Amino acid sequence: MKIRQDIVSTYRDVHSWVGIISALFLFVAFYAGAISMFEESLQNWLSPPVTLPAPPSLEQTPDLLNRVFEAHPEARENYTIVLNDEAAARQGRVRWSPPGRPHARVPVTVAALDEQGELVSGQLPLSEAARFVDELHQQVGLPLPHEPARLVMGLVALLYSVALISGVIAFLPGLTRMLFAVRADGGARKKWLDFHNLLGVFSLPFHIVMALTSVAFAFHDQIFTMEHFLLSKRGAAIVHPQGRAHGQPHMQQVLLPPVAVRDAVQKQVPGFVPETLTYTLMHGQVALRVAGHDDRYSLRGPTAGFATLNPITGHIVSADYLPGHQSTGFAVLTTFFALHFGSFGGTLVRWGYVVLGLGGAFLFYTGNRLWIASRRRRERSTGLMQETRGTWFLQALTAGCPLGCIAGISAVFCAAPFLSYGGGYVTVSAIYYSIFAVFMISGFIMPPSFALRLQLSVAGFITLYIPFAAALATRPVLMSPTGGSLSLCAVLVGAALVYAGLRRGRES
Amino acid sequence: MTTTLSSRGWLPKVSAASLAGAVLTMGLTGVVGCLSGSDSMPRSMSAQFLMWLAVLVWVALLGSCFLFRSGRQAWLVLTGANILVWGVYVLARAAVL
Repeated sequence: MKIRQDIVSTYRDVHSWVGIISALFLFVAFYAGAISMFEESLQNWLSPPVTLPAPPSLEQTPDLLNRVFEAHPEARENYTIVLNDEAAARQGRVRWSPPGRPHARVPVTVAALDEQGELVSGQLPLSEAARFVDELHQQVGLPLPHEPARLVMGLVALLYSVALISGVIAFLPGLTRMLFAVRADGGARKKWLDFHNLLGVFSLPFHIVMALTSVAFAFHDQIFTMEHFLLSKRGAAIVHPQGRAHGQPHMQQVLLPPVAVRDAVQKQVPGFVPETLTYTLMHGQVALRVAGHDDRYSLRGPTAGFATLNPITGHIVSADYLPGHQSTGFAVLTTFFALHFGSFGGTLVRWGYVVLGLGGAFLFYTGNRLWIASRRRRERSTGLMQETRGTWFLQALTAGCPLGCIAGISAVFCAAPFLSYGGGYVTVSAIYYSIFAVFMISGFIMPPSFALRLQLSVAGFITLYIPFAAALATRPVLMSPTGGSLSLCAVLVGAALVYAGLRRGRES
Repeated sequence: MTTTLSSRGWLPKVSAASLAGAVLTMGLTGVVGCLSGSDSMPRSMSAQFLMWLAVLVWVALLGSCFLFRSGRQAWLVLTGANILVWGVYVLARAAVL
């Protein structure tokens, strides 16, 4: 494949500039995203156990519900029944929260019956640490309100897409001959270049998926509004498909009991494992949504697929997002989402996405290092003995931002088991951003190589400490396969960082 | 080809792809939506496919805009394409309604 030389050099310039603008945001997005692959497990790990009486069996759940509705009539508007016994033991059988916007953080109340049959309820102790890391991922690390952050994220996603296109045009043709060459002895620039190319080529499909899906996530609201404006028939009102009169008058006694709902689901969709039933009161009618998973199919959400049921008969009324029962069109659409979330193929794919995500983060880091090394080489060749302010500035950012992000997230996970409710959102963000700020500032006030060494070591030690913090807080996390693997990951990442810090120490 | 491309003069090219390109993407979405008989219900299947189409088109325009010989050419071509596409949209819409 031969591409004209001027096109290649144009796109090489484009690649450097869009890369350098977006790389640090993308690092945070990918690192936090890789961790978010196990958001649920981390949340279970970090949240203290519920201090309520043991949950009732699913058969006795209607009694509990009646007591809840007597004492808290507002619970009828939006409540969830947990079907899985293990999950119910951890988070309660029945929980409710005020209906709100999808991104609003609202307290969740959970209830059980004590031995005398009295209602006991309290706030569900839900650690918001994992949720915070997920939002860090969605907002490319910016402490902004949701809407402006999403626009910035969209901008970064567009730059990322252009960086991918330009990277492919500029480098792919010449790459085949030196793909596997990692020239460790060819100087810093060549080493970073080879790393960057190797990672870039092998994760290209993953990055194409991520770039397009994140542009879609950022701008889908605007695009849907635009479509509605362009395509609506005259006089047609917006009707949300989910909102179309699927429900029935809200009278608790006529609703199908949870056991019957579970059985009805299992009969209608064998292989689908229902996890939760969520009842919502909309326009005076009860809507029932069942969430669950089926390891044979892609899931629309990060951890679950959904179906809408008739709450009285238990019949499925919408299977648009039900794994294995979608129409071809919806199944294709689900694939786009599943490819972003890694919610297909079970645990193995999840771990694959962790590796790809961490690899992606490292790809952006190598890109920046490459840029610094090239600039320095150019400056030296023009006879400058000292590096320019621009190079120095970027060098400080390239070390401070990623390592600050790693250290900040690790510190949040270290602290969360000791905080009340496993860490509220405000506390957790305060911890993250103060660590992040210290790392950023330290890069600018210390000599560069000393700062990098210090940052690597500190970030490494904080990360290494995560499993010990969990053990100290007597969380039985190390026993579970996922918890154990995540701890192992923390140890590996931490050790790699400390090693890199020590090695740099010996070099200089 | 006599002119040599360079990354200089990127701003008019990028602004053409971002602004005129966005308007062109909307027009294309409208045309494809009309011709395929899409309903405009948010989150319906056709609306979602059109959303992905819009993303793909806009990203492709942003990625390829550097191939224009100049910013002037970028604006001219994309404006021309807009006039064409929006013309087709008006006709298609009139036919559908």
